[in-house]
Amino acid sequence: MKKTMVIMGAAVMWAMMGIGGAVAYEKQKVVYHINYDDPKTQAGALRNIQNHINAVGKENLELRVVMHGKGLSLLLDPDMKGEATLAANGTPQMQATVAGLKDQGITFKVCANTLKGKKIADPENQLYDFNKVDIVPSGVAELAALQAQGFTYIKP
Amino acid sequence: MSADDTDLSDESLNAIVDGEYPMHEQAELMAVVQADASHSNRVCALRSLKVMVQNAYAEVPAPAGRGRRRRRAGLMGVAASLALGLAAVLGVGLSSDGGRQAERFVVLDADGRGQRPAVAADEEMRIVFHLLDGDMDAAGELLDEVETLLADYRQRNAALRIEVVAHSDGLALLRRRLSSHQERVASLARTFPNLTFVACSNTVRRLRVEKGLEVTLVPEARQTASGVTHVVKRQQQGWAYIKV
Repeated sequence: MKKTMVIMGAAVMWAMMGIGGAVAYEKQKVVYHINYDDPKTQAGALRNIQNHINAVGKENLELRVVMHGKGLSLLLDPDMKGEATLAANGTPQMQATVAGLKDQGITFKVCANTLKGKKIADPENQLYDFNKVDIVPSGVAELAALQAQGFTYIKP
Repeated sequence: MSADDTDLSDESLNAIVDGEYPMHEQAELMAVVQADASHSNRVCALRSLKVMVQNAYAEVPAPAGRGRRRRRAGLMGVAASLALGLAAVLGVGLSSDGGRQAERFVVLDADGRGQRPAVAADEEMRIVFHLLDGDMDAAGELLDEVETLLADYRQRNAALRIEVVAHSDGLALLRRRLSSHQERVASLARTFPNLTFVACSNTVRRLRVEKGLEVTLVPEARQTASGVTHVVKRQQQGWAYIKV
């Protein structure tokens, strides 16, 4: 019992010293949820993500963005809107921000139900920098599954 | 109390139903109860009441007014968080696996949007949807998503529980006068017993006090004292959280 207390005390002191020293985050797994189509809020979310990378370091961060419903408008190219029943917020500026985040290892997951529901028939051409491996069957199920795997949920 | 004392008070009968007597007294009292038809009927009524109360509060916490119990639960929650925090600290200090353990308890921002992880993938998946948006299109999309999920899990014979907690503007989905999805809510609740609609009582009360509105909820809506407290509790219990 006494020994345990000593170890506990040492551990607490060790942890406090850690807090007092240079800030270094442990590895983090995080999922950002975007299902709204206000371009300002979307741009704000991407800014949050960049700040998150800056704070934690890209080598310490496994960060995924899950988009479904109206959120997919983030990647929809205004020139390629076609039949899509969705806002097209994928302006050159937005595309540049997304490209910058992807360069830092951020993945953008796209909901298959939404592609169908919002009539995005040709995602390769309609969505910015789209890759088939980014498709998830259901955005909501993906959010739940990632949380079950220990990802922290953030909705900016 | 002896077996020939046949005039049992409600309090005694309640105590019998709750099994509060020592075993031998319980047996004696049960004999008295069984010998008397009116006692038997009262015990029977009390038992079914108890079961109904248990069922009603099995998933949704009791409304305000049971202050003492709630406070005690709150203290236990605080104690549990402290224990968890200490465990996380110890995990960092003592185990080589410390980094991963600490990460499991990371809370990312002051608004509490960060959270602990949900259940393991091989267990029942539990998801709480926090509906704050009063827009009926958004609520309709939520119902679409919920239905797709429920149908998918049912088809795969996998365990799933979903709660839709309607709070603030989001309460509109469960309000008789505002919801354009009442039939849908009713049919979903009928089709999927693992789906629960929960209304925030604080929001109901606030509408009454601030706007003088007497809110009528759809019959499928259960009530919880505070929508926020409820979703926080669910996350602490390992539910996945999705804000709508």
